[in-house]
Amino acid sequence: MRFSIYRFNPERDSRPTMQNFEAVVGPHDRMLLDVLLRLREQDDSLTFRKSCREGICGSDAMNINGRNGLACITPLAGLKEPVALRPMPGFPVIRDLIVDMTQFFNHYHAVRPYLVNHEPPPERERRQSPAERAKLDGLYECILCGACTGFCPSWWWNPDRFLGPAALLQAMRFIADSRDRATAERLEFLDDAYRLYRCRTIMNCTEVCPKGLSPSRAIEHIRQRIVKEGL
Amino acid sequence: MANPSRRPRFLDVTRIRFPVGAICSFGHRVSGVALAIASPLLAVLFTRSLQGAEGYAEAANWLTPLPVRAALVLVVWALAHHLLAGVRHLLMDVGFGSALGTARASAWLVNLAGVAIAALAVGALR
Amino acid sequence: MRAVASGTRAWLLQRLTAVYMLVFLVLTLGRCAVDPPASHEAWRNWIGTGGMRVATVLFFVGLVLHAWVGLRDVAMDYVHPLALRVALLALVGAGLAAFAAWMILVLAGL
Repeated sequence: MRFSIYRFNPERDSRPTMQNFEAVVGPHDRMLLDVLLRLREQDDSLTFRKSCREGICGSDAMNINGRNGLACITPLAGLKEPVALRPMPGFPVIRDLIVDMTQFFNHYHAVRPYLVNHEPPPERERRQSPAERAKLDGLYECILCGACTGFCPSWWWNPDRFLGPAALLQAMRFIADSRDRATAERLEFLDDAYRLYRCRTIMNCTEVCPKGLSPSRAIEHIRQRIVKEGL
Repeated sequence: MANPSRRPRFLDVTRIRFPVGAICSFGHRVSGVALAIASPLLAVLFTRSLQGAEGYAEAANWLTPLPVRAALVLVVWALAHHLLAGVRHLLMDVGFGSALGTARASAWLVNLAGVAIAALAVGALR
Repeated sequence: MRAVASGTRAWLLQRLTAVYMLVFLVLTLGRCAVDPPASHEAWRNWIGTGGMRVATVLFFVGLVLHAWVGLRDVAMDYVHPLALRVALLALVGAGLAAFAAWMILVLAGL
């Protein structure tokens, strides 16, 4: 199977290049990650993140034939050759397919991704009805892989100030949580020309989310909440 | 250790495969800028057409040369795409059509309808 | 919705002006398509009198506000040096304001 892979070694290269590979596909190989691991037998300088190999850790997010995805759950069947692998767009490249996720996680931390509730805690849990819990569906499952944010043109042009779809989806996850008491502050923080409002609802995020989530819809809901609270 | 601030970023848009919604959205932006530039020119036409019989006739004359009619077709295309893409956004704002499947279908519809209207304009302005 | 730099105000303005212009264009272009004004006087009388004149003025005001929000978004996305962006937006803003003033004068003078 033919590959064309983005290579960049900061200790040696001044610019990134694309390197061609011819990979042998093993009889039980099903996913892109399987073959990528084989490629390291040919060239062990090829560098990429990986861990769970089952689409839950989010480590191996990369740009595959022009679209972001997770290598471990991208089937080999149907991949057009030569398979072009590049790091996620818009992120600083540390080496080969590994990108610097610092800014991404800064934005995540900026939305206070934890429950804020200073009421005295009850004896057992802070209760939540099944209907209230259902509001978290489609929001809590994010694995913070970065595929959405790395595919968002608005984030490409303003990575420092626009929070990006992942962080915004997580912001909605806590706004939607009936146990949280900081909704007003959360909405006020987000109501900013850059933080949320760079979003043009291009929907690239929803197109590539490997967990099938819809950050664009979450952002819509935040907007609706801001407008509702403001009226 | 290499200087972190000199890390490259992959941002070659010719190597990125954009979904249909992104095409629709890009068209929305380009058509918006095009309309912003065309508006003063159209306003001149509009104003002249309201200035009596000679004004009206002169405005009509301005529209006869082929390059002007060609430009008008482009303006019609820009307006059609911008308007339809705008309606798509307005509907999504109030909750209609934000699911991925519907959003893709509506993006295709907007992209094609804009071209279709431009084609009609070619026919009308021939 | 309190902050000066609120994104919501601009976003709402863009949506509201869009709806107004949509309705205006559909009605006026629609009317022109099925029953175009027969002569230059009919055209001028239609645009230049009564409710239609006010509606047309509002259309141009809406257009200028809508274009402002849109072009500001474009500048915020692509023009990062602050001084350059401020200068560009000042120019665009002045141009749009002049455009609106001009159209109001034209329509008021009919």
